[in-house]
Amino acid sequence: MPDPNDRREFIRGLLLLSAAGLAACASKPTPQPAAPTATAAQPAARPTGEARTPSAIPPAATPTLVVSRGGDPAELTRRAIAALGGIERFVKPGANVIVKPNICNAYHGPEYASTTNPNVVAAIVALCLGAGAQRVRVMDFPFAGSPQASYETSGIAAAVVAAGGQMEMMNRLKFRKTAIPQGKKLRSSNIYGDILDADVVINIPIAKNHGSAGLTLGMKNLMGVIQDRNTLHAWGLHQCIADLNTAIRPQLTVVDAYRMLMANGPTGGNLDDVKQANTVIASADGVAADAYAATLFGIQPAEIGYIKLGAELGLGTMDLSAIKIEEIAV
Amino acid sequence: MSTLRRLRPWVQALAFASFCVLLIGAGKLAFLPADLFFRLDPLAALANMLAARQIVPALGVGAAITLAATLILGRVWCGWLCPLGAVLDWVPARRSKRFEPDPAPRLRQVKYFLLALIGVAALLGNLTFLILDPITLIYRTGTTAAWPGLVALISGAEALLYRAPLLQAPIDWFEGAVRGVLLPLVQPAYGLGILLALIFIGILALNAIRDRFWCRYLCPLGALLGVVSKVAWLRRKVGDVCVDCQRCARACPTGTIDPQQGFASDPAECTMCLECVPVCAQSGQSFTGHLRPAAWRPYDPSRRQFLAAASAAVVAAGLFAAEPAAIHDDPRLIRPPGAQGKTFLAQCIRCGLCVKACPTSGLRPSFDQAGWAGIWTPVLTPRLGYCDYTCTACGAICPTGAIPPLALVDKRLTVIGHAAIDRDRCLPWADNITCLVCEEMCPLPTKAIVLEDVTVSQPGGGEPLAVRRPTVLQDRCIGCGICENRCPLTGEAAIRVYAPTNLSTGG
Repeated sequence: MPDPNDRREFIRGLLLLSAAGLAACASKPTPQPAAPTATAAQPAARPTGEARTPSAIPPAATPTLVVSRGGDPAELTRRAIAALGGIERFVKPGANVIVKPNICNAYHGPEYASTTNPNVVAAIVALCLGAGAQRVRVMDFPFAGSPQASYETSGIAAAVVAAGGQMEMMNRLKFRKTAIPQGKKLRSSNIYGDILDADVVINIPIAKNHGSAGLTLGMKNLMGVIQDRNTLHAWGLHQCIADLNTAIRPQLTVVDAYRMLMANGPTGGNLDDVKQANTVIASADGVAADAYAATLFGIQPAEIGYIKLGAELGLGTMDLSAIKIEEIAV
Repeated sequence: MSTLRRLRPWVQALAFASFCVLLIGAGKLAFLPADLFFRLDPLAALANMLAARQIVPALGVGAAITLAATLILGRVWCGWLCPLGAVLDWVPARRSKRFEPDPAPRLRQVKYFLLALIGVAALLGNLTFLILDPITLIYRTGTTAAWPGLVALISGAEALLYRAPLLQAPIDWFEGAVRGVLLPLVQPAYGLGILLALIFIGILALNAIRDRFWCRYLCPLGALLGVVSKVAWLRRKVGDVCVDCQRCARACPTGTIDPQQGFASDPAECTMCLECVPVCAQSGQSFTGHLRPAAWRPYDPSRRQFLAAASAAVVAAGLFAAEPAAIHDDPRLIRPPGAQGKTFLAQCIRCGLCVKACPTSGLRPSFDQAGWAGIWTPVLTPRLGYCDYTCTACGAICPTGAIPPLALVDKRLTVIGHAAIDRDRCLPWADNITCLVCEEMCPLPTKAIVLEDVTVSQPGGGEPLAVRRPTVLQDRCIGCGICENRCPLTGEAAIRVYAPTNLSTGG
């Protein structure tokens, strides 16, 4: 006669195992995402910028956009942010800060200009910590290769850790299906929860050529915080980028144009395609920052779909003659 | 002797644990000798060297160690170290209170037949039958079935437990520490996993007929080591004090202790497990050194059997040569970087290390894509996983050189296929919708996919449309397949990688 305790143990084990098995099936990513639809059950994205921009209004003399030229990348970054009113304008003591550079793959080092300059990223991390930020995390979701390898190859991991920041491997469990009520085409998306919850998001794209988007700049860089990116192309990439930017609104955008990738982007790999521009652009207005960066390629802002559509959605201004721009030589 | 016997389960557990650690770490933890068990497998080594007509020192040294150990100690590999043998010992086997003689001792010769089949086929340049090698068998099952299943269970458990807020912080820590380090970024999934699991379960289930059924009757590696054990130095000997209690015969997992022969055992069948030692009422057996070969048994390999196996190998060679795959390569047969067509088949021992090491799980064991002759050799399936531009894992881990160890700069220039756009499916070509994911993803410094701006008139009239269309430049494309992998279409991609043609490779 078998011991009933044995049987109970066995059934308990079996239940646990099948629960785990079922969970495994349930958690399988849907291979082909259906067309996006916003449902009432999804939490709406709280635009990070609107909701949490610190109340301190910059003095009237503060420029909307700062361009710094010459010098080394860290110094360019520090001077640009100082001229914008200092990091304290964006980062309050105790703030939970997420910095989003462009670390799109593990192919090449920073000299190939396919990933954001590590010294620009590290300078911003140091500034945030200096302003009393409680926690500064740096992350991206590379489209090829592992995040660990990409973080290392880009040089960003070493620079960030030396500056006192943390590299975070984006965790698939933290993506949240989020409604995008202001979106025209992209009505919902799986967005990284910590980006939605952060006090401050600082977007640090690198200025790059990009086949389908024309250029990849700040607004495009935010595609790194959602899942199911490829399908956006089929739905109309530019409108989707603009829509996504209604849900995630970084308080500060710093465009790294220390080196610019002029062709074969966004992956790069050819030093002949890299232009040494020694430029950093900083603005609280992500549309304006992208608009100015486009001019560095000799492209009118309105020629880049997502810049134009972003301006139409009221995310910022692409009319560079209408804003106060300060240019500084370092 | 009794102390040694008590040690055996621990040694087996340690060997099996090492096997698992090496499997899980393969392609992830470069400091581990991922191919250790294959290096120690003399069957795989000899077959590879025969078929490829090459000397692989790394394999030769390990094989020599195992053979030398067998010459001295007999089939200790089978009783103490083989991971499959360990699992077979753990499966509850049929136990009987009375001694039951081996129902079909002649079945033992099947393993010698398989050994000869592998050997002669290898001599003819074919390694197909190495799929029966126990190490490749258990490794393949681990890679394509056990590991993907375990990963799915871990990921599922994480997703389930993540709902409890208290558990989120530890799970975040676990994910950060393990994902991409040990756990793969994408869930590995192999169509053949379930079939291979069923085959493996079948082998375990044979234990219900007789203990260690596989080892007694089928295992070709056991056969090789058995032949060597015929002249092994250390052998079991029954003394004069035997009282015919039959306990040793009952305890023997391979059933080689025969009451009809005075409880003597055949060293070719004895795995040196020492299970017979403690049960003996009289301490009547000892393990002593011998120099003369052991007696030949009716089931031992014979000239006639060898001829039969050789004929079978020749027949198989003929059948394999008459397969469609032998005459015309499957257009979608994309091999790992640097693997060279037919010589590849003569070098690949079907171990599955590259399949485990591939970070995108794009390398998969083939079914009939490479013909039955090429069953369970690695094929890249780009729709499921691409060849990463920064990765050289498969060549680095391959124990035989079938996939050459390429430096990253060389691998980046190695053509494994060519992408082609299906203009009837491609969004810009078929539907005038701008979509250039393939161009964006192309990792080459000078992209192999170029864009063309065209203005097309709409079928229903109205404003002409400006569309950007991708085209693949064949002389640039290396066939990595990330374009096919990321094509946003549902189902089959609109850009697909095909095996290089003779025209494109100049050969």
